[in-house]
Amino acid sequence: MSGFTHLHTVSGFSLRYGASHPERLAERASERGMDALALTDRDTLAGSVRFAKACAKAGVRPLFGVDLAVAPPERPQGDASVRRDRRRTPVRGGAFVDESTPRVTFLARDGARGWGDLCRIVTAAHESEGTPVLPWAENHGAGLTVLLGPASDVGRALAAGRPDRAAKLLTPWREVYGDALRLEAVWHGRTGTGPGSLRLAARTVGFAAEQRIRPVLSNAVRYADPGQGPVADVLDAARRLVPVDPAKGLDSGEAWLKDAGAMLRTAERIVEAAGYRRDTAHRLLEQTRATAAECLVDPEDDLGMGAVHFPEPHLVGAGHRTAQRTLASRAAAGMVLRGHSGKRVYWERMHRELDIIAHHGFASYFLTVAQVVDDVRGMGIRVAARGSGAGSLVNHLLGIANADPVEHGLLMERFLSKERVVLPDIDIDVESARRLEVYRAIIGRFGTERVATVAMPETYRVRHAIRDVGAALSMDPADIDRIAKSFPHIRARDARAALEELPELRSLAGEKERYGRLWELVESLDALPRGVAMHPCGVLLSDASLLSRTPVMPTSGEGFPMAQFDKDDVEDLGLLKLDVLGVRMQSAMAHAVGEVERATGERIDLDTLKGGDPATYRLIRSAETLGCFQIESPGQRDLVGRLQPATFHDLVVDISLFRPGPVAADMVRPFIEARHGRAPVRYPHPDLTEPLRDTYGVVVFHEQIIDIVAVMTGCGRGEADRVRRGLSDPESQGRIKVWFAQHAAAGGYDAETIQRTWEIIEAFGSYGFCKAHAVAFAVPTYQSAWLKAHHPAAFYAGLLTHDPGMYPKRLLLADARRRGVPVLPLDVNRSAVAHRIELVSDSGSDSSGAGADPSGSGVWGLRLALSDVYGITEAEAARIADGQPYASLLDFWERARPSRPLAARLAQVGALDAFGANRRDLQLHLTELHRGARGAGGGQLPLAGGRKTTPAGLPDLSSAEKLSAELGVLSMDASRHLMDDHRGFLDELGVLSARRLRDTRHGETVLVAGAKAATQTPPIRSGKRVIFTTLDDGTGLVDLAFFDDSHDACAHTVFHSWLLLVRGVVQRRGPRSLSVVGAAAWNLAELLEVRRDEGLEGVAARLAGPGGAPDADTSNADTSNADTPDAGASDAGVDGPARGRLAGSDGLPAPAGSAARDAGEQRRIRMPTGYEMHPWADLRPAGEGPAVGRKLWHQSPGSAG
Amino acid sequence: MTILCVRFQLPSADEAALPALLGLLEEFTPVVEALPPDGALADLRGAERYFGRSAVELASVIRVRALALHGVDCVIGAGPGPMSARVALRGARPGVTCAVPEGGVREFLAEKPVVALPGVGTATARTLCEYGLDTLGRVAVAPLSTLQRLVGAKAGRELHEKANGVDRGRVVPNAVSRSLATERPFGRDELDPDRHRRALLSAAGELGARLRAVEKVCRTLTLTVRYADRSATTRSRTLGEPTAHSAALTRTAYGLYEALGLQRARVRAIALRAEALGPADQASHQLTFDPVDEKVRRIEEVADRVRAKFGPQAVKPGTLAA
Repeated sequence: MSGFTHLHTVSGFSLRYGASHPERLAERASERGMDALALTDRDTLAGSVRFAKACAKAGVRPLFGVDLAVAPPERPQGDASVRRDRRRTPVRGGAFVDESTPRVTFLARDGARGWGDLCRIVTAAHESEGTPVLPWAENHGAGLTVLLGPASDVGRALAAGRPDRAAKLLTPWREVYGDALRLEAVWHGRTGTGPGSLRLAARTVGFAAEQRIRPVLSNAVRYADPGQGPVADVLDAARRLVPVDPAKGLDSGEAWLKDAGAMLRTAERIVEAAGYRRDTAHRLLEQTRATAAECLVDPEDDLGMGAVHFPEPHLVGAGHRTAQRTLASRAAAGMVLRGHSGKRVYWERMHRELDIIAHHGFASYFLTVAQVVDDVRGMGIRVAARGSGAGSLVNHLLGIANADPVEHGLLMERFLSKERVVLPDIDIDVESARRLEVYRAIIGRFGTERVATVAMPETYRVRHAIRDVGAALSMDPADIDRIAKSFPHIRARDARAALEELPELRSLAGEKERYGRLWELVESLDALPRGVAMHPCGVLLSDASLLSRTPVMPTSGEGFPMAQFDKDDVEDLGLLKLDVLGVRMQSAMAHAVGEVERATGERIDLDTLKGGDPATYRLIRSAETLGCFQIESPGQRDLVGRLQPATFHDLVVDISLFRPGPVAADMVRPFIEARHGRAPVRYPHPDLTEPLRDTYGVVVFHEQIIDIVAVMTGCGRGEADRVRRGLSDPESQGRIKVWFAQHAAAGGYDAETIQRTWEIIEAFGSYGFCKAHAVAFAVPTYQSAWLKAHHPAAFYAGLLTHDPGMYPKRLLLADARRRGVPVLPLDVNRSAVAHRIELVSDSGSDSSGAGADPSGSGVWGLRLALSDVYGITEAEAARIADGQPYASLLDFWERARPSRPLAARLAQVGALDAFGANRRDLQLHLTELHRGARGAGGGQLPLAGGRKTTPAGLPDLSSAEKLSAELGVLSMDASRHLMDDHRGFLDELGVLSARRLRDTRHGETVLVAGAKAATQTPPIRSGKRVIFTTLDDGTGLVDLAFFDDSHDACAHTVFHSWLLLVRGVVQRRGPRSLSVVGAAAWNLAELLEVRRDEGLEGVAARLAGPGGAPDADTSNADTSNADTPDAGASDAGVDGPARGRLAGSDGLPAPAGSAARDAGEQRRIRMPTGYEMHPWADLRPAGEGPAVGRKLWHQSPGSAG
Repeated sequence: MTILCVRFQLPSADEAALPALLGLLEEFTPVVEALPPDGALADLRGAERYFGRSAVELASVIRVRALALHGVDCVIGAGPGPMSARVALRGARPGVTCAVPEGGVREFLAEKPVVALPGVGTATARTLCEYGLDTLGRVAVAPLSTLQRLVGAKAGRELHEKANGVDRGRVVPNAVSRSLATERPFGRDELDPDRHRRALLSAAGELGARLRAVEKVCRTLTLTVRYADRSATTRSRTLGEPTAHSAALTRTAYGLYEALGLQRARVRAIALRAEALGPADQASHQLTFDPVDEKVRRIEEVADRVRAKFGPQAVKPGTLAA
């Protein structure tokens, strides 16, 4: 007798219910000798694809199912007279989570039909408001098997000792499902007659015999292994939002994936208890096996894995013709339109590409994307293609990609070739602010039956895990908060390891023992899904059969249809996914262009800008590129300073170089040396001059590797791209080396050249960057820099409105001020909803100069926006803007109708200053207006001269209070830089300003101070963790790096303070490249307080103390360095896919035996490129982060608000 | 310089010790006003001449005696009026009496935060701080009309006077208004209504017993529920008639609790407070024809006597015994 099949098994995709990943379940099933296993998650099929893949790997047949709450059939005699008494609304803590609806397990039986039925009922269940409930009307399906278990209405009646009622409740089920109905017996060793008790199981079996319905045995599995009961308790607590209560009964600990022997014993106990002979157990197991055997759903054939589904051709403009012919004619039309019709190269390339597309049958795909792009453009939304798709001429001709691939030397083969069999992907960037409009347009074009957004499971990481476990264990909320916040955003399974290893957690590690089982439970939650969100960019496009292949649920908020599968699953299912990325920079630029047009009438078309504008490149070369797309990070500013780009191609190279790969492979230095003529340009062989000439002999792009391989071996670019992909895998690398040597030798190259070239290819690995990507990136980079150079005020207005960057808004404002853009304060009579530009007369007075003649030498200033006021709603902002101008405070109050707190905030930041009186008086008037509005015909507004508000004699805000109010209300120091107030103290300390820092020598020890603008711990080549921080002190930015040896002393201060004072050593690597290596750090806010309260003596005492200064020789034991401790790679800031991939838990199951017990060495993450990463690198660090908190360091007792 | 404000540093707000300490003050002056739970005001106008010592010197004597007789330390503030004495108390430490000089009240107050002023609670202080009136000096110079607009006509006038050092208060002897309180903490976040009710039953029983022991009745019952996040909900209800009858208190406590409708709130403690206490012999009691009420009260009387003899745990409701 072989194995037992668990028909009722949930995985972690049952949110806050299942405790094991589907992969783990499949693995365990295989280990315990089962040949089939069902996955019946609650309310979702999201785990199905992973489960199917894991089962295929483990050699187990997957069964698919779902566990749904089912509404009872409507009774004909609706007894409205009996109304359930409503419970009083709790004053605190909220109501209990209602889980009273009975739950039933559905299994797909009949292949595709069964799967389609599953998808349909899941979709139907999610249509109800609130928790998913399947309405009875939808409760049918010819391809489904139904298990009525202890949680079903029938099971509950049995538990209540009412077989008569159970029989009555069974009737409608029998009517719908007939022979496909099963009764599910579960024994978890509980006492009494409730779910999991022996008596209920026995009653179920007896009842089944009586009703002639087949019983099955299941274990209602919630976790893979024994001993995970406490995890289930925590999940229950997190789901019900209550603490774990031992008095209320804990999980039995029996709901694990038991093996066949254990289940046989269970069956025997149940049948004996039901009054049968012991060997009847075999019949129960036989029924279970037979039920499992009926459920045949094949992942390939029935789920549609591996197949591809495009929207029908008639929807994408093909009419009665085939998609391929339509595509060919549209491409040809594009040739004429873009003026390439006379160029032979273009025609040849176009035909070659069309051949490749026809070979794969992807024509509909191209037409679909083109259709979407056309629609988006038709709506007046900026759109740009990104990614390797930019390398295709057809894409360019269809209007999908802007850059001309022939001109920039981009290769189709990097995107799609005959040798490549995967789905190509074209990503499009749209304005972030209008992304949802784009989604609606796509849904409108193709219909909800073909379009769905993609889900993105949110998984437990350390902070959330601590919060949920802490709440379940009744810990003090303040403690939970403190512990959670002190962790960086790491995986939950690394919690204990992080405690031991991270210097900034040392104090927490000291009290580790106090929290008992917290850590263990936190780690066990690792990567379990805890919620589902809409993926920020993926949109599924398919044919009309989408809904029978994918369960769909509405997204919260917008109500878009969302497939339950995540982006990887979707690819496995062969669904076409179009990535529509909302790019804030596109929105910012659109806003800037709109502002220029509104204010001056000048129309700017960014897409047709002339390249090579000297002012733009001057700006880029000055490295003052804050706010410019892709080149604003500290590392990039440093690189731009060294590289000194002068052409568009330089920008492309710059963007490509600033990737972890090139930085790690040390390609930056040789490139810069060669570029500035300090080193000769070398080519491995004269034949390779052509592909490598543009980059001074240094390999930067994927396209170059493809060319090198193609030239040396003569294998063609399609094959060369396949080879290039193989390079990242160490195994295939060996094979490729032999292959390469053979073919290159056959091509007549000498051994030395082959050796040298191979070294380059090998070192390059898959590090480089796709040139098509870089070109696509460089276009908005140039456009944004152009705007910054020519329309700075509008540019800042766009940036502040759409906030695209890595820096807080206040930093952008400081940059604007530094670059001479006047910052105009908030004013209800002038400010709009979004940031605006305004002409400022050059007389210098900030009194209304709007009427100045436009031809004069007026400067454009930046008027702050109402939308930045804390707590303002869109409606309020719009109302204020619409009602302008206001004659008096009363007028403003009556017509703009702001809420009182909002009005008070506006008064605090001076937006109402025009109405006279000081800000506190204004607040008093507002309060009285508010009281008056509530009836009682309150105080008359004291008016003087009808316009001005009379003063009430309250003290005005002091200048520090005004600044504090600005920071609190706008999160920006609008009137002046916040560091200006502390200049005196900084001078006492001898702190160098950012401006004066430029004149320091290499190796000089300096003190710097400022407000923290950004903190990163990117992966760098040496595998160590380096903390990069940018400080802003009003005169400029200071880039700091803290290396391993200073972490013990500095890490906590750097992460958790907002104002920093740092001692460090100046590092120079070029005229424009400057950074400070930090040695000690202090919380400047604290020092300021000490200075105020205790004078300089106090400061001296603080500096002498252990506060920030490191011990004389820190015993930095952590010098277990990887291959090469190359600190020179300190400019390795990283964007790109590596970040997402490495930072996340990826939903991967924790390896058996928590990884946390391994030493740090083993957790060092090895990237596919063979490049090692510190386990704690590249995570969002703890602390308040760079985005300015509203909590401020100086809060005098009288601070406003 | 004749009014002292004394705060005894009682261990864990042990209200029972206060009367004895008040007796100590009464050895110096008959004009003593209790400020429960742990303070008192004493008017030493006559005592200064009688003992031939200044108020500050007498303060030292009082401290020494309190320590010697009761083992209780105290902090003392001195001033020309009750208000200034109370403000002065904030600046005092054990052994250091903070004294406000006669005629220097205004200057003394100028630097103090507004909350230092008796009668200014958190709400008023928040309002004043919002308008930049964070110190009493600023309040003093603000126009009276503005203050009245801020906090109301009467409160504004009083605030204005007090901030300017005008102290109209007097020490009123025997103005003891006291309350009794008890608290039932839970070891973990408790959501179970049964256990909440059990805590209420036991707390109400205790309050009743304590009230009857001192022959008082209470008019108002206040329920405070403390939550895990250190916040709390407070509800008060006035009883139908002043009483010390445990059953009546329990009924009212249950009513207060039910009105909260708590479901998922993480309760860490339940506190009951009997307020507006009065002497039991002046309380009226509505008689009924229902003999049960009479019997219950008789049983309670007996139970009280049993407890007096065998300790407070000797008799208790069945639900609490389980």
